[in-house]
Amino acid sequence: MSPKPQREVTLIVDGREVTAPEGMMLVDAAKHGDVEIPVFCYEPKLGEPVGACRMCLVEIEGTPKLQTACSTPVRDGMVVYSRTDQVKEAQSAVVEFLLVNHPLDCPVCDKGGECPLQDIAMGWGPGRSRFTDPKRHFQKPLPLSPLVAIDRERCILCYRCVRFSQEVAEDSQLQLLDRGDASYVGTFDDRPYIAPFHGNITDLCPVGALTNYTYRFRARPWEIEQAGSVCTLCPSQCNVSFTVRDERVKRVLARDNAAVDDGWLCDKGRYAFEMLESERRITAPMVREGGGLREATWSEAIDRAAAGLREAGRSSAAIVGDASNEEGYLVQRILRDALGSPDIDSRPGGGVGRDRAIELSRPELSAAVPDLDEAGAILVLGTDPLHSSPILDLRIRKAVRRNGASLAVASERPTALDGGATAVARYAPGGAAAFLAELNAACAAEREGEGSPAGIGEIAGLLRGAERVVIVWGERIARGEAGDEAVDSLITLASGLGIAETEGVGLLGVPETANGRGLREVGCVPYAGPGFAETAAGRDSERIRAALEYEQLTALVLFGADPVRDHPDSAGWDRALRAADFVLAFAMFEDSAAAQADVVLPLQSHAEKEGSVTHPDGRLQRARPSVMDPGEVRPGWQVLCELAAALGDETGLGSVPDVLAALAEAAPIYGGISAEEIGGRGIRWQDRPGAGAAFEGLSEGARYVMTPLDDDAPDTSTREGGPGGNRLLLGTYRDLWAGPVTELNPALRFLAPTQRVELSLADAERLGLADGDPVTVRANGASLEARVAIRERMREGACFLIEGTAENNANALLNGATPEVTVEQRATSNEQREATT
Amino acid sequence: MSVEQPPVGSLPVDPALTTGREPDRPAEEIPELHEVDCPDELREEVVLLMSRYPDRHSASIPALWAVQRRYGWCTPAGIRQAAAVMTVTPAYLESVASFYDLLHTQPAGRNRVLVCTNISCWMRGGDELLDAFCEAAGCESEAAGHGGAVSADGETFVSGFECLGACELAPMASIDERYFGPLEPADAATAMEQLRDGADLLLDKALEKRATAGGPEPDPDERVAATETSNEERATRNGSNA
Amino acid sequence: MPETRLLFRHIDEPGLNTIDVYKKLGGYRTLERAYRELEPEEVLVELESSGLRGRGGAGFSMGKKASFLPRGDMDKYLCCNADESEPGAFKDRELMQKNPHQLIEGIAIAALAAGTTRSFIFIRGEYDLQGDILDAAVAEAYEAGYLGENVLGSHFNLELVVHRGAGAYICGEETALLDALEGKRGNPRLKPPFPAVQGLYGGPTLINNVETLSNVPHIVANGSDWFKSFGTEQSPGTKVVSVSGCVQRPGNYEVELGIPTRELIYDLAGGPEDGHEVKAFYPGGSSSPVLTAEDLDLPYSFEAMGDAGSMLGSGSIIVADDRVSIPHMALRTARFYHHESCGKCTPCREGTNWTVKMLERVVRGEATPIDLDIISSVQENIIGHCLCVLGDSMAMPVASMVRKFRDEFEATISAASSLSRPGAAGLAGTGAR
Ligand SMILES: Cc1cc2nc3c(=O)[nH]c(=O)nc-3n(C[C@H](O)[C@H](O)[C@H](O)COP(=O)(O)O)c2cc1C
Ligand code: SF4
Ligand code: FES
Repeated sequence: MSPKPQREVTLIVDGREVTAPEGMMLVDAAKHGDVEIPVFCYEPKLGEPVGACRMCLVEIEGTPKLQTACSTPVRDGMVVYSRTDQVKEAQSAVVEFLLVNHPLDCPVCDKGGECPLQDIAMGWGPGRSRFTDPKRHFQKPLPLSPLVAIDRERCILCYRCVRFSQEVAEDSQLQLLDRGDASYVGTFDDRPYIAPFHGNITDLCPVGALTNYTYRFRARPWEIEQAGSVCTLCPSQCNVSFTVRDERVKRVLARDNAAVDDGWLCDKGRYAFEMLESERRITAPMVREGGGLREATWSEAIDRAAAGLREAGRSSAAIVGDASNEEGYLVQRILRDALGSPDIDSRPGGGVGRDRAIELSRPELSAAVPDLDEAGAILVLGTDPLHSSPILDLRIRKAVRRNGASLAVASERPTALDGGATAVARYAPGGAAAFLAELNAACAAEREGEGSPAGIGEIAGLLRGAERVVIVWGERIARGEAGDEAVDSLITLASGLGIAETEGVGLLGVPETANGRGLREVGCVPYAGPGFAETAAGRDSERIRAALEYEQLTALVLFGADPVRDHPDSAGWDRALRAADFVLAFAMFEDSAAAQADVVLPLQSHAEKEGSVTHPDGRLQRARPSVMDPGEVRPGWQVLCELAAALGDETGLGSVPDVLAALAEAAPIYGGISAEEIGGRGIRWQDRPGAGAAFEGLSEGARYVMTPLDDDAPDTSTREGGPGGNRLLLGTYRDLWAGPVTELNPALRFLAPTQRVELSLADAERLGLADGDPVTVRANGASLEARVAIRERMREGACFLIEGTAENNANALLNGATPEVTVEQRATSNEQREATT
Repeated sequence: MSVEQPPVGSLPVDPALTTGREPDRPAEEIPELHEVDCPDELREEVVLLMSRYPDRHSASIPALWAVQRRYGWCTPAGIRQAAAVMTVTPAYLESVASFYDLLHTQPAGRNRVLVCTNISCWMRGGDELLDAFCEAAGCESEAAGHGGAVSADGETFVSGFECLGACELAPMASIDERYFGPLEPADAATAMEQLRDGADLLLDKALEKRATAGGPEPDPDERVAATETSNEERATRNGSNA
Repeated sequence: MPETRLLFRHIDEPGLNTIDVYKKLGGYRTLERAYRELEPEEVLVELESSGLRGRGGAGFSMGKKASFLPRGDMDKYLCCNADESEPGAFKDRELMQKNPHQLIEGIAIAALAAGTTRSFIFIRGEYDLQGDILDAAVAEAYEAGYLGENVLGSHFNLELVVHRGAGAYICGEETALLDALEGKRGNPRLKPPFPAVQGLYGGPTLINNVETLSNVPHIVANGSDWFKSFGTEQSPGTKVVSVSGCVQRPGNYEVELGIPTRELIYDLAGGPEDGHEVKAFYPGGSSSPVLTAEDLDLPYSFEAMGDAGSMLGSGSIIVADDRVSIPHMALRTARFYHHESCGKCTPCREGTNWTVKMLERVVRGEATPIDLDIISSVQENIIGHCLCVLGDSMAMPVASMVRKFRDEFEATISAASSLSRPGAAGLAGTGAR
């Protein structure tokens, strides 16, 4: 990032000299002189100031009328008064006006005690009310969504929530309706406001008009504590603050970190906390006995685990899912050092090998999240950030809306960002490699508007024309046979754009799991140890599954992973788990992994855990324990150390910092990093002194050789109409809400997706299918049931299913290369009923 | 809808978990065209409207007019159709529609009578005229004075209205978008009858028929007259007058 | 003194709204000359030196505003403000209905001077007839080559779209008009940035009233000196004045600025009915503080009205005679602004609401003199504190009425509280609805 040079100006606020960068709004500059100017509508995260509430009026010498400090940029020599009689009168008048229609129900209002209106009324208000007429009335409170209640009587019409909906999330579902003092916040036709970021409006609302059903009447501000941590439910790793009362998480708030999340949270991060107390939470170790699991003591469970693994020895393997860097480090250490097995992976569908992984991690090639703000062009490739890393979706929208970046989207499936994109290309499922090859050709050819599929020429032109390009790419494109090719082409594209040589640009890979990057860098990959250290080559997750099934491997450690649900080929994984002699599952909840394990060890949740994680842009961040461990749950690192000891590896590590230190020693790119250094805001390892050198040392001699492009390879990207006949090419994606969170959190249950097969209008017509039709989708001998969802902007010949749903999981159909499926009408239950009667 | 939250007054209640709520209906995002069944003429009209502006959003008011002309008011279904063509959310259009007095987000009759009750018309009997129209149309005058009322037969929308920009006709009314005045209370019944019969409305009181208040053109001011002669001279000189 | 008809010249000529009649009477010659013979800069200088002041309310110099638009190649816009929704104003309606081509010609010439290539006429939705007439006239002008690409074979392009509003007074406020034209709710924007710098779609935008733009062809045809020979030094030109309320011949009268107000109200509009007197009048639409019979001899000009503590505004006089109850008139006024407040900023949204509630109590007799003080204080709390001047537009006249007619307010309170039926005062209507 190259911060724009900014001139400092000097002004005088209430007699105090204040310096501030030119152009800064007066309210913010006044804070430099410890002058607080009250605001309601001002919130720079929402875009340009609107100057609506009029709370921030101040006097500026030379200007006859009072001015809104929230919208007045500072100038050199400006003289400002915020406490003259004239200003005080105006401010107290505005407070009085705001209270004209605001009910005085503070004692029963959830906002009471943490309410900006209360605070400002105390500090700046008239202290009495002359308003004696009836206030406006609304029915209250009403569900604005299943998660948020709206009390319109309390609303002071500050526009924050509707601006969020329109200018940040851009879902435009929440609007102001009617006019004047009859205006109210609402939705079309009184529909619920359901959008993945909508919970943010409860943080934004300066009064108790918007409250969370998950928090209403649960706590008062004086009974709670705030505990800062990091949400590890997806790769966005937003900074959060847990509201804790009586050792229980009651609420999750954003903890603004401009380098990560801009102060926003997605609804998953915000509302997925009730699961910590779920009945399905595993709170004690368990061992298998006579076909069932029974609770056990820790020592018994660890002994059993050690025995099982010892017996398998080098025939053990591990799949890591959700884990901190420390936990990941210890798991791979147990596998490699104590058991002598290289078979460990953390990537659901596998991926590229060491050389390419190192190349992709080059500091010069990697972009930081804030680089998006400065980008001239952004290419979103092979991922829909809304599902894979939601906060990036908001960040990209901001870059386009506020900073004028041009957006190009190239993906299999329509993305939420298509609407704001200048150019969109849709390639066939599994066609990323071929698409990228063509994009490179188009970029090299300097021809515009040419190339197929449609959109390639525009994307090439857009990328070539921009000075600063950030490519947000889904690491999923590295899956499978064409993965190497796709990555090679991506690297070629990046070098063609001179990305390595330009500051503030680069690649931002979105991994498939929350700490995917961290786990790769601590050695939870089959090709490298911590910090990409060379090791014996092991099996990737697909091969681990196969080897288990064919009994080349006999024991499996699952750490926060549920491969039956989350990895391709559910049936294969099911067979693999059954075939294994011994399965050790570290799990938080009763899932299919735990169900088939011989020993189950309970895991801490993201609110209980201490440890570090690595953001997709290389930022190490710290999760900190906010509540006590429930039941018998113990820290994962501790358990892993004990297990290592039982397997003969006395680690001597007695705390999380110890583990981090050991990890940092083993991984030179993290060299010497400590918890203090990571601090509350995190630090990108690429930005630390010595990181570059450490990285260079690593990649020496490891320069990889690109796979030559195979000219004869079938070109899936340009193939129109897909496989033809009634067969379609299947693509799958991980929906934001497909996963245990929607089952474990009652408040989120309504969001759990049921399986649907997305089709283009043309394909649906060809197959005689209409929106909502029940169908059977078959592939590779497997089948599932779904409903038809016709979507615009779909590529003809392709269809999409959701992975990770509780039922009819698309992973069941994935047991080979990109499969071709058939979609057939299924008799509806009505028809069935009619048929039977 | 699920169980309500614990009542106020029994604080602090602390059930561990919420009772998951279910939305009563789906949320409304930008609808896709195939979902809304938009009549071709409406779609074409909205597309044409969008083409008149550099930014498609500018077509929102004209598009809502088109919806209202077609369906009598801005029906939710009509709003969805326009929204799908414009690729905006229906909420966006509803928000716009609800801001403007002439766009109806509730059913409105086939005929629209707007009676001005603002200052100049009020001074000359606007309130009485509104009452007369309410009576003639058969609708509730209290409601008509507060945002409008639809007659019992559903045919006529009558509303007291802010200044319609025709104070010289005071008291006046706009009937189906055409201005009439000055009106006597008795004219209300006549107008309603004419509406029912499909006859021409209050012809002698139509705004179109009125000459400027100052009457026939006075002799032009000498400075004005001078320019006219010079203009004519120039025109004859150039021989360019059509 | 008779009218001085400049914009209203030939106003009742049959068919003046068609291009043929308009041209026969000399129309479009100035446009032809401007596009063929004049440099945009010359036109701009002429407009600036004419001293033409905006006829929409604020009275800002039209030429100066046009000169604020940055030069250079960028998308620039001209918006003609035909929203005319202020109570008492109906002059733009007559100008558009009867002489639409005069306006189109004015727009085309102003666009040339300001360097704008896209123009819009934002007409209030209620003016359906006038909108239709404008649509037809615009089509004729395109046909004749006065609009469109390469106007009259020059290298200038000019698009003109008639955009109908849908019923919201606030859209007359220039920045709200821009939001409405961009397809949003018509909420005013913060200023700065001013529209001349950053207006429609973020581009520099010139916004002028119908009457202002209708003056343009005359100024460019006859020169600024000629124009300045009409009116006063600070208020040059003529003005179409809408006179309504308690007068015998309500209507639009075009007069030289600066004539005695009495002549407008009495000589032209006929004054109140026999036996009645002028009690108060709004000199510049309902947003101008009221003046009283004492002020009838003031010259009708921007400066004289300003000096008298009121304003000329849009040039619309509403006359109340001795039968009109001022408290009821205040209530009508306040209700209008309450109804039309967009709701964006606090003092206007809540202040108009509160004022209406208090005035309702006044006419119902449920108020006390202290309430009158609160009414005054609330008006003070509104003035100067809002995002746009809609709030002030209520506060100023209401405050002026309470100040000038306090006795009547107090009398109304006590009379109403002793009556079983509320609000018996007033010439017509109880005002209590
Ligand atoms: C609440 C409000 C309503 C207004 N309504 C109108 C209007 O209907 N017509 C108009 O020309 N100007 C109106 N104005 C004034 C405009 O904001 C603007 O000053 C004017 O259009 C500029 O044109 P002019 O310079 O030619 O007068 C209004 C202003 C306010 C604050
Ligand atoms: S609901 Fe809250 S955030 Fe939204 S406008 Fe009202 S006060 Fe502001
Ligand atoms: S904070 Fe400045 S106007 Fe609202």
